[in-house]
Amino acid sequence: MILVPLIPFILVLGTGYYYFKTSIESTTIASMKRIVEDHRHMIESFLNERENDLKFILHSYTFDNLSQSETLDTVFDHLQEESQAFVDLGVFNQDGLHVAYRGPYSLKGKVYKDTDWFKEVMKHGYYISDIFLGYRQVPHFIIALAKEKEGEKWVVRTTIDTVKFNNIVKGVRIGKTGEAYILNVNGLLQTEPRSGGKLMEKHTDSVKYPSSNTGIETFIDQGLKGEAYLYTTTWLQNKKWLLVVRQEKSDAFSALTSTVYLVLLITVIGGAIIAVVAFYLTNHIVGRMEKMDVEKEQLNQQLIGASRLAELGEMSAGFAHEINNPLQIMKNEQSLMEMILSDLKESGQIKESESLTEFEDSMNQIQLQISRCAKITQAILKFGRQDEPRPQNIDLRNFIPEVIGMVAKKAIVHGISIEQNLDENTCPIHGDPTQLQQVFLNLFNNAMYAILERHGTSGGKLVVNTEPGENKTVGIVIKDNGSGISPENLNKIFSPFFTTKSVGKGTGLGLSVCYGIVDSMHGTLEVSSEVGVGTTFSIHLPAVE
Amino acid sequence: MERMRLLLVDDDQKFLSITKKSLAKQGHIVQTASKGSEVFEKLQAQNIHVVVLDVKMPGMSGGEILKEIKKSSPLTQVIILAGHGRVGNAAESLKFGAIDYLIKPVSITKLLQKAQEAFEKRKCLEQKIRDIQIRVLECQFN
Repeated sequence: MILVPLIPFILVLGTGYYYFKTSIESTTIASMKRIVEDHRHMIESFLNERENDLKFILHSYTFDNLSQSETLDTVFDHLQEESQAFVDLGVFNQDGLHVAYRGPYSLKGKVYKDTDWFKEVMKHGYYISDIFLGYRQVPHFIIALAKEKEGEKWVVRTTIDTVKFNNIVKGVRIGKTGEAYILNVNGLLQTEPRSGGKLMEKHTDSVKYPSSNTGIETFIDQGLKGEAYLYTTTWLQNKKWLLVVRQEKSDAFSALTSTVYLVLLITVIGGAIIAVVAFYLTNHIVGRMEKMDVEKEQLNQQLIGASRLAELGEMSAGFAHEINNPLQIMKNEQSLMEMILSDLKESGQIKESESLTEFEDSMNQIQLQISRCAKITQAILKFGRQDEPRPQNIDLRNFIPEVIGMVAKKAIVHGISIEQNLDENTCPIHGDPTQLQQVFLNLFNNAMYAILERHGTSGGKLVVNTEPGENKTVGIVIKDNGSGISPENLNKIFSPFFTTKSVGKGTGLGLSVCYGIVDSMHGTLEVSSEVGVGTTFSIHLPAVE
Repeated sequence: MERMRLLLVDDDQKFLSITKKSLAKQGHIVQTASKGSEVFEKLQAQNIHVVVLDVKMPGMSGGEILKEIKKSSPLTQVIILAGHGRVGNAAESLKFGAIDYLIKPVSITKLLQKAQEAFEKRKCLEQKIRDIQIRVLECQFN
């Protein structure tokens, strides 16, 4: 249940991460490619410039002219003015003899006829060497050009400062770990990588050579120490040298790494929030449902109670009717007995005696008890609601004073003051006036009984209020300062035949009748009471619009 | 003085016998009937002044008997004696010509008092009719 909201959340994050990763990768690779491209151009331009310098010399001077050391010195000085990368300058005849030399070493007179570079330059007219040691035993590379004039070939050669060249190649800086270096076809380093490695040695990390001769290739490979590198490689124009630009993968995709952390953080925090909220909401909903279940159960109980009450009402009415017939007979028999008794007394057949008085008392008692039974059956019949109610709109502002008028005399006799606070805006209600009158009379009489019980014939107070209730109802509150009802009796008072009055004084049907009447009017009758303080009955009836 | 002739109608034989005994003791002529057909037989056979009628009867109900009595002998006064009181029922009974509506249990004294009143009314009505008849005859002679 709690996991359900997490699924779309994780899906969104996952999809977002995938597209972001793809985008970052393609952007990083594109930028690497651009850097390699630019760098290749720069290196090639440098080499081309040096080559063009030599070409210019070759075309500007003759072999004899340049073989003279003064001329060579002047030319070399001019070259150095243009680029510090030139280390020396030499002139060779077609037999490979170093005819003239200007530079830090004494190479004049040496014969190069059998060296590879000399053979190459004689063959192709142009040569750029790999880095090599040569006679001088110092790593260097050379650019050599040959010119043919009147069947005679001669060669000009210059050495390029490896430190300068190295710096040009190394100059690329990408992120923290980005570096550039050149390898020859045999995998020997032609420049020093920033991460270490010596010239003319194999680089510790092997590099895949591009399959095609053109274009820029990108791949990811493991270094010797286990770290992954993003490689970008391209051949230089001469196709002998491979420019390698590489960067540690974690560095190249650092944005991606931080994104991963961010995504993880969001997942954890978001997930936690979703889980907490889901947990809270689920708990809340479950709580509400449980509460509703309890309320439903209570409602059911109330319904069952109400229907039982109704059944009881119907049954009681039936009983009452049936009891009335034998009561009538008993009453008649009792009358007859009285008549016979008086006849006997008149005729002198019975004399006044103690026994006769007792007999007469018994007769009176029978009459009294029959009357009591009759009262009970009448109350039961009322409770059973045998009469069809005739509902009509009732204006409580007039109706309540009328009913109070009926008990006013009794109240005065018992020293009870009746206070009425009837709201001017009290809405009319719909119901049977006789029934409603019965409810009020019952409640007033009960209140007065309780007041008498507590105060005797002075100090009693009965307050009747009307007020607009919630949900378009009218509230009628009847409050007394009588003896009050104890908590254990409070929830029994609406049950039929429950009474606290002494035997013969109450039928215990009054309040249950009231309850039934208010219920039939779609209203509620509630009670609150405190022993020694008083009792309050609140009736809420639906208001008529 | 003319004695009151009463007809008690109820399905309870015990009620009939005891009430008859009590009323007869007071010097009234009392007849009883326990169903509708019996009522009309008695009414035809004798001049009954007052009928005391139970509402709930097997077969023909009290209400129907009341209507029939009022149709066949309008001068006969009917007192309804109901097992239990119902405003609607009482109002209907009075509308159909019952003189009073009593609810069980009622004392003999009270029943007798009501019957007496009914008898007086009956006598009053008879007197009125006689007066009118005399006046009509006088008019015819003149």
